[in-house]
Amino acid sequence: MITEKVKKFTSLYHKVASLNWGIILLVLLISAMGWGLLTSAAGGDMGPWASKQMLRFCVGLVIMFAIALTNLRWWLQFSYIFYGISLLLLCGVEFLGFIGKGGQRWINLYILQLQPSELMKIALVLALARYFHSKPLPPSFSKLLIPFLLIIVPVLLVLRQPDLGTAMIFILMGGMLFFVAGVSLWGVFGVFVGTCISLPLLWTFLHEYQKKRILIFFDPGQDPLGAGYHITQSKIALGSGGLWGKGYMQGTQASLNFLPEKQTDFIFTLLCEEWGFIGGVFLIILYVFLILLSFRIVLTTLNTFGRFVAMGMTAIFSLYVIINIAMVMGLLPVVGIPLPLVSYGGTSLLTLLMGFGFLLNVGLHRTLKVPSASLGIL
Amino acid sequence: MSEREKTQFLRRVLCLGVVQFFLILILVGRLYVFQILESHHYHFLAEGNRMATRPIFPPRGQIYDRNGIPLAQNTPSFRLVLLTTRKDKVQEVLDIMSKFIYFPAPEKQEILKAIQKKRGLDSVIIKDGLTWSQVSVLELHSAELPGVSIEVGSVRTYPESSHGANLLGYVSSPSEQEQALESMLTLPGIKVGKGGLEKYFESRLRGKAGYKAFEVNARRKVVRELHQTPPLAGEPIHTTLDARLQAYVQNCLDLHKSASAVVLDIQTGDVLALASSPSFDPNLFPTGISHKNWDALRDNPYMPLTNKAISGLYPPGSTIKPFLALAALKAGIIDENTTIYCPGYVTIGNHKFHCMHAHGHINLEQALTHSCDVFFYEIGKRLGIDTMASLLQEFGLGSGGSEDFPYRRKGLVPTKHWKSEHKHAHWTVSDTIQASIGQGYMLATPLELALALARLVSGKKLLTRFEKGSTPSFSEMPYNNKHLDIIREGLNMTVNSPGSTAFSGRIPFEGMEMAGKTGTSQVRRITAAQRASGQTKTHSLGWECREHGLFIGYAPVHSPRFAIAVVVEHSSGSSTAVQTARDILIKAQLLEKEKSHDN
Repeated sequence: MITEKVKKFTSLYHKVASLNWGIILLVLLISAMGWGLLTSAAGGDMGPWASKQMLRFCVGLVIMFAIALTNLRWWLQFSYIFYGISLLLLCGVEFLGFIGKGGQRWINLYILQLQPSELMKIALVLALARYFHSKPLPPSFSKLLIPFLLIIVPVLLVLRQPDLGTAMIFILMGGMLFFVAGVSLWGVFGVFVGTCISLPLLWTFLHEYQKKRILIFFDPGQDPLGAGYHITQSKIALGSGGLWGKGYMQGTQASLNFLPEKQTDFIFTLLCEEWGFIGGVFLIILYVFLILLSFRIVLTTLNTFGRFVAMGMTAIFSLYVIINIAMVMGLLPVVGIPLPLVSYGGTSLLTLLMGFGFLLNVGLHRTLKVPSASLGIL
Repeated sequence: MSEREKTQFLRRVLCLGVVQFFLILILVGRLYVFQILESHHYHFLAEGNRMATRPIFPPRGQIYDRNGIPLAQNTPSFRLVLLTTRKDKVQEVLDIMSKFIYFPAPEKQEILKAIQKKRGLDSVIIKDGLTWSQVSVLELHSAELPGVSIEVGSVRTYPESSHGANLLGYVSSPSEQEQALESMLTLPGIKVGKGGLEKYFESRLRGKAGYKAFEVNARRKVVRELHQTPPLAGEPIHTTLDARLQAYVQNCLDLHKSASAVVLDIQTGDVLALASSPSFDPNLFPTGISHKNWDALRDNPYMPLTNKAISGLYPPGSTIKPFLALAALKAGIIDENTTIYCPGYVTIGNHKFHCMHAHGHINLEQALTHSCDVFFYEIGKRLGIDTMASLLQEFGLGSGGSEDFPYRRKGLVPTKHWKSEHKHAHWTVSDTIQASIGQGYMLATPLELALALARLVSGKKLLTRFEKGSTPSFSEMPYNNKHLDIIREGLNMTVNSPGSTAFSGRIPFEGMEMAGKTGTSQVRRITAAQRASGQTKTHSLGWECREHGLFIGYAPVHSPRFAIAVVVEHSSGSSTAVQTARDILIKAQLLEKEKSHDN
């Protein structure tokens, strides 16, 4: 019994020790930067955002470690069920969600508000990974119908909310998984053409304010004090930061409330205003390192399920980074994508940490053999 | 997973990685453009976002008379101010306000117009110069008037009121043309000199505005004060005027419907008093004159807003005779003993030019004391217009009498050249005849006449001035002292010899006597028919047809100190002008004595 316990303990110790600590360190570093920025966004007060975010991070970190230390096979088995639950919750938003900020995105779980679309990101990655794991690669064209449906159903559901940013993430992440699965370039091209054709359809889903945002994106000057205001002020804040920035908590655009949503979507602007080009590039370098470490896990993993899980999580993370930064610089329409690990917000942080949990998990089980035969009940 | 599958997977993952890497590179590049290349531009925009400035007015320089009595000063005043951030409420606020204080509709319209132009932190002055009772009523109802506050400002006041208002001028809001020329004048509530000394010394009186810079948030609320540049106060101006004499002159002139006078210091060229009647109260203007008052001033037929002493053009009449006499002496045409026969008229061509009487054989001194026209017709004829003109110009006629004083006009000394240029006609002998008694084309302002006389009396090329300073030295006039003495004695006799034209208006006190020359200038020719019916005077005509009465003089005779020019419009004869000059010169000398007594 005792040896059993010791064995278990040493194996747990061994597991923890062989986690990819580079990723954990970078996640910590980036999040810590986020707390500093949230403090500055509140004018030097930890109260409104930073302390809450730290608390959520601690909860998220526990979940991340928990996921990292579980058995990957178990997730393989559980993946479709997880997808099914997420889909139900997503549908539930239609009936249980409350109206807020122009979108029915939340389900109130009393303890924390849950965004099923966030959960769906994880579930979608797992489901797609499982599907590709069970099929010979590259999949034939007819085998693409099911993964296509796996993607398009949640896309349509989040568009009904409407959550343009999440729909974009689903499509792009799905596209990337299709691409690495070895779908012929013609297939990728076909999906692209299909998307283009469905764009007008997509347009009708959008709210008036979203249509306006997209129109403003193409011509921000047309209404500088109205809907173009956000992006104009964001550019001013970015540009006025200069090389070294205005100094911590000295950002005039942010502290005087010219900068909208400075603690959420536009926090990168706050960073660049206060810490300048140096600060902005520093954070981008941290992100690049994190993405590189993630890619290394993708490339060194031997089992297909693990590869796709890692690739999916990496895709989500890097899409967040690129879309958010492009958005605040006016290179993309404002679609409500937060800056990962930095922006204030509970559910996206939770999703990301869960994602990193899976990445770490895959990293831990790089060499694990996951036979297609072990598919179990489903 | 086969090897082929594996390599394809790796290739595609790497491919994605490279694409992402380039996307991130593009982002960094864009960031570089924003933060390094275009940083200056955005920095400027950010500062514009966060800063708002509010002007701090410089106190306007005060204006004093020569003895330090304030003529224009700044008095604290209460003004009603509306923040333009409450633009939407303006109409409502104005309506509520007019329940408490009198507020005419056209003024409301002007405020609404002004508010539309302003942005941001600016505030608009709704009403300046509130009375105590208005302040207390508005304070009581302040809760009903959002965005409205009462500020303590300063308002320009003129303690001497209407005494010399024309000379002093007044301040008022700048016109749109003025604002277009100088950006400082677009500051809300600023006032500029609108005439007289206020305008003449404007650049020195105004000072420089300071600024308070504020940090404001996105809703334009002030967060904190950043810094301030203190204003540079306007310079005080010590003028040459004597407020007491000015007041006295004004009162003398106000006895007549329309008159003006200038008193100069013969030694320094100081303008001691310069007044025009009727006058007005300049205190009406700084807080914004009401339409009713403005219309009354504008439509007054006696033109209170015109300073007749510097911009009234009158035919100088006989007052130019002493100067012609000097010209004749200098030219050697006559000497003090030369006599000319006056039959009471001369005929030039088929026109008769009349004299007041048939004076018979008459010399220069007699011609001056009795103001014989025929004598001067003859001199004029012999001198010719251009010789006459150059001498008159040397004495300052046609010069305006002062450099660039606002609204001052220049008189006219006609020459042959002038006539051919402006009237496209040749100069005729009858033009010369008329010019030699200061009629016809010839025009002068009272200031020019006073200056000319001061130059004649002092023999120096005096210049007038309005600002007190050290005694200037002037160059000598190029005339023989003996000739000048002859003329001065003639002027003395004109006033002080029994039977002369101004004898009734002489100063009978020893040591204070004045000398001078009368003049009347015809406004309307006396027709041959009127003359035939015995009507050679204009008393019986309507006021505006009567001739102007002029007098130029100086006192005391033996050590000349004060030079004066008086014009009483349509007084039909010069005696009113002489008496006015007499009273003023007595007062001037008494004030001088009082002063030396005090010292």
